[in-house]
Amino acid sequence: MQTRNVIRYLNRIDRRVLYTLLIIAITIPFFFTIQIRVPISRQTEQLYKVVEALPQNSFVLFGADWSASTRGENRAQSKALLIHLMRKKIHFIILCFDPQAKTLMQEMVTGMQKEYGYTDGVDWANFGYRTDQVNFLKGFGPDIPTTLSMDINGKRVQDLPVMRGIHTAHDITMLINVSGSTTTETYIDYLQGSYNLKMVAAVTSVMIPEMINRLDSGQLVGMMPGLQGAIEYEQKLGYIGKASAASVSASVAHLLIIALILLGNIYTLIEKRMSSSVRGRN
Amino acid sequence: MFSNLFHPLHGSSWYIAILGCFALAGILIAILQSLPHALRRPLIRIVTFLGGLYYAVEYFWPTHSMPIPGSPKHMGNFLTPFISPAANMLSVIAGWTIGLGTINLCQIHGKRLLHAKEGKLNSLVFFIAMIAMFTLAVLKQAHPNLINKNLYMLLFEGLYQALDSTMFALVAFFLVSASYRAFRVRTGEATLLMVIAMVVMLGQIALGQQLTIHLPDHGFWHNFRVEIIRDWILTKASSASVRAIAFGIGIGNLAVALRVWLGLERGAFFDS
Repeated sequence: MQTRNVIRYLNRIDRRVLYTLLIIAITIPFFFTIQIRVPISRQTEQLYKVVEALPQNSFVLFGADWSASTRGENRAQSKALLIHLMRKKIHFIILCFDPQAKTLMQEMVTGMQKEYGYTDGVDWANFGYRTDQVNFLKGFGPDIPTTLSMDINGKRVQDLPVMRGIHTAHDITMLINVSGSTTTETYIDYLQGSYNLKMVAAVTSVMIPEMINRLDSGQLVGMMPGLQGAIEYEQKLGYIGKASAASVSASVAHLLIIALILLGNIYTLIEKRMSSSVRGRN
Repeated sequence: MFSNLFHPLHGSSWYIAILGCFALAGILIAILQSLPHALRRPLIRIVTFLGGLYYAVEYFWPTHSMPIPGSPKHMGNFLTPFISPAANMLSVIAGWTIGLGTINLCQIHGKRLLHAKEGKLNSLVFFIAMIAMFTLAVLKQAHPNLINKNLYMLLFEGLYQALDSTMFALVAFFLVSASYRAFRVRTGEATLLMVIAMVVMLGQIALGQQLTIHLPDHGFWHNFRVEIIRDWILTKASSASVRAIAFGIGIGNLAVALRVWLGLERGAFFDS
């Protein structure tokens, strides 16, 4: 009788109960500061070493192709990479193929530049949102100044000290792409391959299986895999950022999903057994 | 020669050039619209073929030293100087297609609104959102004062970005509901899928990794750490299948590209 009541209860669980459980699972951990040390994955370790090996005053193209929808993963990834670049006094320019990334990145770097002694236009520049990635990159590779033309503040490439000596893709020391879409593959197809560029990527968790092949082939020399990669990178940098703060929430949400899958299957199993025993008695 | 041809313009000459381009585009569109159907097909074929041919020849033609200001080692061939202008032209054409899409959307929603059909409220919201965003974006560029900037940011960051985050976050709620109601183990394959999914999930989260963190860093038992199993699944088992799919897609894309380039494609491009 008791088993039957449990079955009846499990069968009647309203989806709003599940939604409430998820809200609780995500929000409660935010009220506690729990620092969990995680093992560093091979991909993140590789990425860290590549950035660490960059000489001072190298020139990095930072492709930011994410929006508010994937901010949970990509923002923490971008910040961790920018901290590493700025600590090493590496010059970089930002290029976006997502309209939201332009302002999201501008806010982030503007908030960080004072701490690291960076100046807009001198040590870094934001070239904002560009449309049609394929055709843009076809022009960008052989002639960067003409294709970029001016930054988001309206300053011409020729007037930006950060762009001094940068003419073609051969002048780029490394390409970083933080992405929540297919832009990484397009960068590989139209820029990395043609100019044999050193390229690394920070991608969302769902993109990991596709990017692992690019890593195996050597097209990528490092990868930050999802939020977990950002947590690992923050750990390597010795800094507690958004990723570390969100790690418990993300973990609890995943554990809730695992628990619900198990519960749903246990319920189905019990129900199946009960119906077969009733059939057996009849 | 090329730098003079594609020289950036400023001031009044920029406005004149823009107006000239619009006038030229209008005339071209009018001519193309008046062409008989029998002529349209070969015209589209020729333009498509020449466009594709340019990029193919530029890529495969042997290169030689072609120094440009600031880059003495620059390599290229006789077609390379056109790459940047061609890319700009294609971006402009892509811009026109967005305009075409906007006109199409306006037609559909306009008809729905005028005839008071079902969903007219959504159509009204579409027009309000589009006009507000367009007006404020233009105002912000033309008169970048504090009011225009703040109003634009209110819409872009306060509304558009917030809506984007919200829409994506809703996926988590659907996932939770689906994990309880739909993920049922009925066959051996489904059981295998569930076990692998759980291991990958546990290996991808900080708390999951703590389950096996006490296992040694080296040796036989190291292989049983959840993140090592996840890594093996992703880099060996899963990547093999992803690679196979990627090869298939690549070959398919090549076939489609050749069909479009050589004008063999049927359907939207050539059939009325």
